[in-house]
Amino acid sequence: MIFITGGVRSGKSSFAEQLAKEKARKLGGTLHYLATGVASDQEMAKRIARHQQEREESEWPWRTWEQSTGIEVVAEFFTSKDIVLLDCVTTLLNNELFSQQEWNPQVLTRLLQGIEKIQDHCAELILVSNEVLWEGINHGNKLVLEYSRMIGNLHQTLVARSEKAYLVEAGIPIVMKEEMV
Amino acid sequence: MHFVTGGAFNGKAKWVKARFPQAKWISAYKGEPFIQNVHVAHVVLEGLEQWVKASSNSREEWLSQFAIWHRWEQEDASRKVIFIGTDISKGIVPMEKADRDWRDRTGWIYQDLTGLCERVDVIWYGINQTIKEDSK
Repeated sequence: MIFITGGVRSGKSSFAEQLAKEKARKLGGTLHYLATGVASDQEMAKRIARHQQEREESEWPWRTWEQSTGIEVVAEFFTSKDIVLLDCVTTLLNNELFSQQEWNPQVLTRLLQGIEKIQDHCAELILVSNEVLWEGINHGNKLVLEYSRMIGNLHQTLVARSEKAYLVEAGIPIVMKEEMV
Repeated sequence: MHFVTGGAFNGKAKWVKARFPQAKWISAYKGEPFIQNVHVAHVVLEGLEQWVKASSNSREEWLSQFAIWHRWEQEDASRKVIFIGTDISKGIVPMEKADRDWRDRTGWIYQDLTGLCERVDVIWYGINQTIKEDSK
């Protein structure tokens, strides 16, 4: 598993796609794009459509899956040669949290199980996530604090489970973790 | 002395605990005082940014507080003091003047502390990057 994070517009998604293509070329498998974004307004819908079109037109075609919650249901469609790119983890967590009536901390465990299941079915899972923990000053707001704790714990677990972790800054990927194979 | 910093909820305490399991843990998050008498070799002072927030100490006064721990550590070669401070410097400029002051003071005090420490690590989701290490 590969974990990629970065700020908004840091170039993390482009880097992830490029990495996925290289992997697919080596393995001869299919590229899958697991989109977690829900189009909440027109601008978002346009952006999703643009990204999708770009992927369809690329020399290495992608198969797109749209799954805003419960990603494990698509796991069985992947084979051991396939590369799956999930973009992005924070959106998925938000969707899982807000699809429920009540704030449920069990969401993290379920989300991690979903990721594990996909990992088991494909050759390589590439995760894209967002850097959101730099505010720090909001300690007065309990909900923000609890949300930050969840994101932090989730990222820590994912980095621990990944062979490689990258932080993308202004388009430049910085290797934060690299396990020797 | 050893300073461990990084963003909130990045696993700083976890990282320190794994390396100094026997340490006496003094936490600002629990409202504990910064200066205390201890009878162990390893001491962890967690939540530096909260102590800075709660005190009206100047930068110089903080330096003399750090000096107390530094002297204590120097008295015995087996002693070690580890400070943990959350990096609060990277968000949007806060609206409230008090928050801006807190953020400024924390940044300066971290710089001073880094000057006194022989080792400084930044923790990113459980992974450390040693940004300062003096040869002994």
